Amino acid sequence: MSATRVTTHVGDIELRRLGLGSDVVYLHSAVGEGEGLLLLDELARTFEVYAPVFPGYGESAGIEQIDDMEDVAFHLLDLFDRLHLEQPAVVGNSLGAWMAAELSVRYPDRVGALVLVNPVGLHIEGAPIKDIFGRKLDELAGDFFADDSHPMAQMMTMMTDAQPGSLPFDLVRPLVQTMAATARLAWDPYLHNPKLQKRLWRITAPTLVVRGAQDTLVPPAHAAAYVDAIADARLCEVDDAAHLLALEKPAELAALVRDFASAA
Amino acid sequence: MRVFSFHLMPYPALPPDYDGPAWVTVPNRLYDPAVGHEIYNRYLDELVYAEELGFDGVCVNEHHQNAYGIMPSPNLMASILARQTTRLKIAVVGNALPLYDPPTRVAEEFAMIDNISGGRLIAGFVVGGGPEYYSFSINPAHARERFAEAHDIVMKAWTEDGPWEFIGKHYRLRFGNTWPKPMQKPHPEVWIPGAGSLETLEFVARHRYAYMGIPYFHIDVFERQFRLFREACEREGYSYDPLQAGWLTPIYVAETDAEARAQYEEHWWYFVRRLLPGIEITPPGYTSVRSVENILKGLGTFASRLTSWEQVVEGQYAIVGSPDTVYERLVENIGRLGTGNLLGLFQLGTLPAELTRRNLDVFAAEVLPRLRQRFPEGAKVLAA
Repeated sequence: MSATRVTTHVGDIELRRLGLGSDVVYLHSAVGEGEGLLLLDELARTFEVYAPVFPGYGESAGIEQIDDMEDVAFHLLDLFDRLHLEQPAVVGNSLGAWMAAELSVRYPDRVGALVLVNPVGLHIEGAPIKDIFGRKLDELAGDFFADDSHPMAQMMTMMTDAQPGSLPFDLVRPLVQTMAATARLAWDPYLHNPKLQKRLWRITAPTLVVRGAQDTLVPPAHAAAYVDAIADARLCEVDDAAHLLALEKPAELAALVRDFASAA
Repeated sequence: MRVFSFHLMPYPALPPDYDGPAWVTVPNRLYDPAVGHEIYNRYLDELVYAEELGFDGVCVNEHHQNAYGIMPSPNLMASILARQTTRLKIAVVGNALPLYDPPTRVAEEFAMIDNISGGRLIAGFVVGGGPEYYSFSINPAHARERFAEAHDIVMKAWTEDGPWEFIGKHYRLRFGNTWPKPMQKPHPEVWIPGAGSLETLEFVARHRYAYMGIPYFHIDVFERQFRLFREACEREGYSYDPLQAGWLTPIYVAETDAEARAQYEEHWWYFVRRLLPGIEITPPGYTSVRSVENILKGLGTFASRLTSWEQVVEGQYAIVGSPDTVYERLVENIGRLGTGNLLGLFQLGTLPAELTRRNLDVFAAEVLPRLRQRFPEGAKVLAA
């Protein structure tokens, strides 16, 4: 895997690039996964994989110039242009799936196939997305992972019980930073764009909506709403997976993307 | 040295079986308006009494959706105080600027209080506590930007002739022209409370305002905060004036140390165990990553973690004792912190009216005069 830096209009960002084949872009969730993400290696067996780190996450700059999904979509468009990505398949988990949808409604021609894994981005009356900004980390871990022995789930549980100030700040910093970036994008309106639902009809790419059967953060109605509103979309449910499915089921997700993208 | 009586106006009647947070989601079915009627009036009386006792001023503050302090509008309280007092400074510490849209509302209401009181307002501006960003659903990542813009608008409203235009990222006013304007020129004294955000310290130093340290930390944390503040002033090219710094602390005085503790301790623990839980929630993006690091250093000593009275005394979380003890501890800490304003909380938690009054009486009779003698106006307070 090679990690490089790409200059974009808002600032320099990190990019992981690996494999050979047709283009796949992976957009990370609110935890900013990328480094050591097995999914990328799995995908790289058949695709040329581009995994950018969004401004504000990791070592990527420029978040202060991004306030909302309008800015997010333009940043992604800028990135695609710079990387000469004409019509890649785009895979996103959670926040990343929302970003992929925001790009797709504006520039449908720039997305060859769309894989939305536990997407957020919509408000559905009676089916609220659970809070991510004020709850304890061990509760969040329960929504993020079906298997609480996942290393990130373990880490989150360990951090829950730690006295403030007792952990080395280097351990805490990534979490502080990713949560701050996510708040900037998704505090209000909370994890949604009120205008997105009525724009979803503009998506023309074949779309696979993947839902973790144990995702307790986002109610099933959200995946269903995406499938209903996008012309060429279908739903696939993965067992033993919760919200951060890309971290929990890398091989299964890569296989789904492979089958879906080759058929598309 | 100036001495103020600060009131949080706590809700003293949380049921014994409620053990949840006192903030944001504390169920409002627990609020009893009959209690509210009684305590709002009683607390106002306690503040008004400070005039008779010779204090320099009184302080009120703003919090929302909580039992810790039931003053969502400190300006209502301050306007009553403006009418019921004649001499006291009235410090509103402060208005949470990002929660007022447009922020000219703050310029208007503060100017009204300043006019009614004949120029006795001290204008406090706050970013708003972490819980308020949950209660108002305002994006905490915008807190500093909104605060900075709102501050500029209020200052423009007070010091520039209108109509003026302000086109910012968060606020846009095409026909700004605030009536009334404050009596004090160019504007009322400005105080900014903070809990250790470096951005806040630097902002206060840059504008030459006064920094009020928010209590409930170990005294060492305050010492560090005020040192950082003095350093921030030095970086701005000047030496801080002690009146630019204020130390807010709970105070309780009785005849003897033993009597003071016996009378005070249960009310202190109600405050710590029932009213503080939830106050420390810090929404993501509310402060910069470097400030989070600074705040986390202090949070381990936050009062809600205390379990014994010995810890309270050791960390100087509350200054409790005989007049001699209280005087000595105050002098020692003022010297350590270099603060020219003392903001005493003379009522806390469930401390009842009679004890609050006696506390104020003994403090005013036996501590206040000695403090005034020890720290004459304009004197340097920082111990060498």
